Amino acid sequence: MQRLWTVAVLVFACAVPLILTTTGQPATPEIKIGAVLPLTGAFGASGNYFKQGYSMAIDDVNKAGGLQVGAAKYPITLIILDDSSDGTRSRSLVEKLVTDQHVNFLLGGYDTSLVQAQEVVPDQYKIPYVEGGGAASEIFKRGYKYIFGTLATIYDLAKITMDYLTVAADQYRLTKPLTIAVVWENTDHGKDYIEGVLDAVKARPDLFRIVLNQSFQLNGSDFSPLLQQVQASNATVFLSDAHLPDFITMHRQYLQAGLYHQFVSYGARGPDQRGRQALGAGADYLIAGLWWSPALKGAGSQVFADRYQREYHAIPDWFQALSYDTARVLLAGVKNAGTLDGPAVRDALAKIEFRNALIPGGVIRFGPNGQIAGSPYIMVQTLPGNTVRIIWPKKMPETFDAVLPMPKNQ
Amino acid sequence: MFTTQNLVSVAIAALLTAGLYAVMSYGLAIIYGVMKVINVSNAGFLMLGAFMTLMYSQWWHLDPVAGAVLNLLPFFGAGWLVYKLLVRRVVNSRSARPIASLLLLFALWLVIQNVALAIWGSEDQSIITAYTYKSLIVGGFRLPLTRLIVFAVALLALSLLHFVLGHTYIGKALRATVQDPQAALLVGIDTERISALAFGLGTALAGFAGGLLTLLFSFTPDFGGPFQLKSFTIIVLGGLENFAGVTVGAAILALAESFAVLFMRASLQNVIAYGLLVVALIVMPGGVAQLWSRIRS
Repeated sequence: MQRLWTVAVLVFACAVPLILTTTGQPATPEIKIGAVLPLTGAFGASGNYFKQGYSMAIDDVNKAGGLQVGAAKYPITLIILDDSSDGTRSRSLVEKLVTDQHVNFLLGGYDTSLVQAQEVVPDQYKIPYVEGGGAASEIFKRGYKYIFGTLATIYDLAKITMDYLTVAADQYRLTKPLTIAVVWENTDHGKDYIEGVLDAVKARPDLFRIVLNQSFQLNGSDFSPLLQQVQASNATVFLSDAHLPDFITMHRQYLQAGLYHQFVSYGARGPDQRGRQALGAGADYLIAGLWWSPALKGAGSQVFADRYQREYHAIPDWFQALSYDTARVLLAGVKNAGTLDGPAVRDALAKIEFRNALIPGGVIRFGPNGQIAGSPYIMVQTLPGNTVRIIWPKKMPETFDAVLPMPKNQ
Repeated sequence: MFTTQNLVSVAIAALLTAGLYAVMSYGLAIIYGVMKVINVSNAGFLMLGAFMTLMYSQWWHLDPVAGAVLNLLPFFGAGWLVYKLLVRRVVNSRSARPIASLLLLFALWLVIQNVALAIWGSEDQSIITAYTYKSLIVGGFRLPLTRLIVFAVALLALSLLHFVLGHTYIGKALRATVQDPQAALLVGIDTERISALAFGLGTALAGFAGGLLTLLFSFTPDFGGPFQLKSFTIIVLGGLENFAGVTVGAAILALAESFAVLFMRASLQNVIAYGLLVVALIVMPGGVAQLWSRIRS
């Protein structure tokens, strides 16, 4: 009798999942969006900012009841995996998102090197991929059809920095000709930057002279020997293309070595909250080219900055704003396509004109290679008291005069 | 472009860096010397030393130098415990292969790194003092104050260590164990205790160096890895079991790195450390100590 009971219990236990599967609710239709980000490792801080931006955009849609695609409304699930800032791991995790998690669409990683590692996968599986973390033009020279980027190129960042320098040289009476020491990370990001600088120098040989042109290792631990060379070059302008961790290390050592230049720019670095906390007053008066800043007075930017501060109790940087825009562009592309079909969404993204974006100008559209059309940059300067002011383009109402040459002994 | 003034300036900067390199490599050399164990977890303790110094600074507004000194005792205790609870079982086991200790300590490094990540997150942290950005001009050369302080403190610590190793019973016992563990055992030295002491001392030096590094660098839980490679190069250059050689190895690496940038791309700076490691292992496996004795004979 006891044996009979045991058999009955076992049969019931096996049958329960079967009963639930066949008679339960059908699986809710949803849109799965995947992203592989560096939540740990060298780019951990920036990767977490991207996670916040993506999550905010997805939350907006889910709170509104889901995304309208054709006749149906779908809730969105965001799946984020951590690649530990490792390129090989990044690529395989993107593939895992596609093959194991069956995501419908992909959002990009951060930085250029990790985006380059990931970009092989989307075309293979015909899954649209929109990224806001890689700005090197090399990403878009490989002929991939499913990759879209919302960041203006690093080449353009260098060009706008040099354009501003041309104007600043007269306006602030910098010592002419401007002798420039330029250092750049040895990646496609850095190569874009130096190309932009050298092209600008070629165009104005009367105004610019390069006295030092050196590359350095990404995620370096000690830049003292390099900075010794910068010091020896006796330049009046110091330009560096560096990611956040390298910027913090390099500028700390720059200040410790007692270096001074009339104009100092680390590309897009300087106004980052993380950098400012790590360097304190040492980050004051740096000039940066940015894709977005909370100093932008547009209504969208202010609403975003206020909301971010409420949710995360911190001031947002361009990382969060651009990742927010990136996710919104992807969602708009899906909505415009009216279907979840990869190739159809890809075509919709290729001809999208996304308005109400946070970036300067407020419009995102893509060029034939998938990278954002135009170069929506602003130049900003960090000032004491955790203040960031827009200093260029002049035509913007929120533009202020810069403090140049940089004050000494700060 | 480079005048004599510039070259001297580069040499001074390199020597200041060498002091730091030496203090972060001594721990590795002591542990390897006594146990023939490569302490890969040294990078983890270096990073932990930096974070503990940050904590002291936030809790008690303690200066990083005082924080580095304060690290010595708890890190010694931590090292002692790691030896007693983990390393001893692998090193003393007859069935264990040398790779076992390497893997064990590598795993320990990853555990420390992930615990730090869970506690402090992945963002860059730094300590800014009133003198962080100050520099002194001595004889026409501008010297960063933080580098001078780190150099002076490192020199003081290493002098103290040399005194302990050369003039105390514990130091002599430690050196005897390095030279011949069997003979040391025969003359009554408790080599087991000496091993625990060496691991504690090595870990304490890692915590101390981590504290000093906060004066110069910002840090994350990944901090320590790049310095580890330099430490390996230094102890190989120094002769692995030769404590005095560590100082010479540190000076060679720092000078090579600094002067190489004058002739090659700074992006190839790591090639210097890797290159020196390969050359030292092939050409002079006994390090500068072996080279010196060859020259003398």
